[in-house]
Amino acid sequence: MRASGLVKRFGERRAVDRVDVELAAGECLAVLGPNGAGKSTLLRMLATLLRPDQGALAVCGHRLPERAGRARAEIGYLGHDPLVYLDLTARQNLELYADLYGLPDARRRVDDALDRVGLLARSFDPVRTFSRGMAQRLGLARALLHEPRLLLLDEPYAGLDAAGAHLLDAVLADAVRDRGVVIVTHEVERGVALAGRLLVLRAGRAVLSERVGALDGATFRARYEELVA
Amino acid sequence: MSAGDPSWPRQMRALLLKDLRLELRTRDTAVAMVLFVVLAMLIFQFAVGSRGTDLTPYAGGILWATLSLTAVLGVGRSWVPERDQRVLDGILSAPVSRLVLLTSKAATIYAYLLAVEIVAVPLMALFFVRGSVAGDLGLIAVTCLLANLGIAVLGSLYACLALFARARELLLPVLFLPSLLPVVIAAAGAVNAVAGGTNDLAEYRGYSLFLAVYAVIFGLVAYATYDHVFDD
Repeated sequence: MRASGLVKRFGERRAVDRVDVELAAGECLAVLGPNGAGKSTLLRMLATLLRPDQGALAVCGHRLPERAGRARAEIGYLGHDPLVYLDLTARQNLELYADLYGLPDARRRVDDALDRVGLLARSFDPVRTFSRGMAQRLGLARALLHEPRLLLLDEPYAGLDAAGAHLLDAVLADAVRDRGVVIVTHEVERGVALAGRLLVLRAGRAVLSERVGALDGATFRARYEELVA
Repeated sequence: MSAGDPSWPRQMRALLLKDLRLELRTRDTAVAMVLFVVLAMLIFQFAVGSRGTDLTPYAGGILWATLSLTAVLGVGRSWVPERDQRVLDGILSAPVSRLVLLTSKAATIYAYLLAVEIVAVPLMALFFVRGSVAGDLGLIAVTCLLANLGIAVLGSLYACLALFARARELLLPVLFLPSLLPVVIAAAGAVNAVAGGTNDLAEYRGYSLFLAVYAVIFGLVAYATYDHVFDD
């Protein structure tokens, strides 16, 4: 994924202001920043949900917005919400997405995806009966169902209990092996622990973009506080 | 490995099945539309039909005025599950052509309208037509099928346009109802031509042709604009 000079305006305000991002397969990028820094807007542009006002963006070799349809097939996106229908069962939701992505052998894939997030036993229950954490796990199963080459996650740990967070850690560790992952989070320590690269945004602008190297979360936090102050 | 090769018939079928499953589970839209049409017909009956006046020449007009208002209800609710359950980003980030999204919603609206007409047409015959319409039911059904096409295509387009608007509840009827006027006039004319006492088949054919042309024109408008409808 390659983005250069991305700008997104809402009225007069620049929510994202000339941001560059580059990510290869097997890399994980954590996007950090305070509320209103433009993290989610940047992620929504990468997910083809928002059209940049300026800049160039290509995902898996597909230029956006011209080849957005092709790019979407390569992207798995999990927003603040799990993006599943509460009145359908977990299985019906994943079957719907399997059809939308044109997946072969959909039934097996749905079973595998539900098993991976520990929801196989609840697969025939409506999502409305799930806890917030269970719905979020289902959202992750949905985002990974088509085995995307680029995984975009917006605050995926929000609402997860310790067991859910542990499961997400394991799924992410597995996912990052052969795909690019962009994770938006306000949890600095977790971002540093998960990612190989960091991007810190403040008021829409990138104030830091570098590899994590030997950084540890606690050490980086002091620097982060200075950057976003 | 990434996604397979998504085919639009499979996507259409999945989206339509999803809408029908949601409706079967929640009974939010079709039931409300049927109740609305029954109540509106009753109100018409008490307001203008209780003095023993022969309303047969106006039956088609009453039917389609009621159905057009009912359609506003169905069109307005067509994206409610996606909006209320916050699923829209999931659907929009999937490799689904916006034309498929638009068409699947039109198909859902079409199905709701059919369900409503199964109740509304007999009520019209019962309340407002002197004599039997049994022999004309086939022609009335054809009118419904043709008029629904225009209503569903136009409704789906406006529902998508209003999806991201703040005052969508106000915006939708204000945009949708005036555009629907030609359908109401032609469909009412077609029904009146066969059930209104004149039995004028030439007039019926003219109105039916108009309904078909209207559906084609708005189908082309939808085709020309669909990609911009979902733009942020």
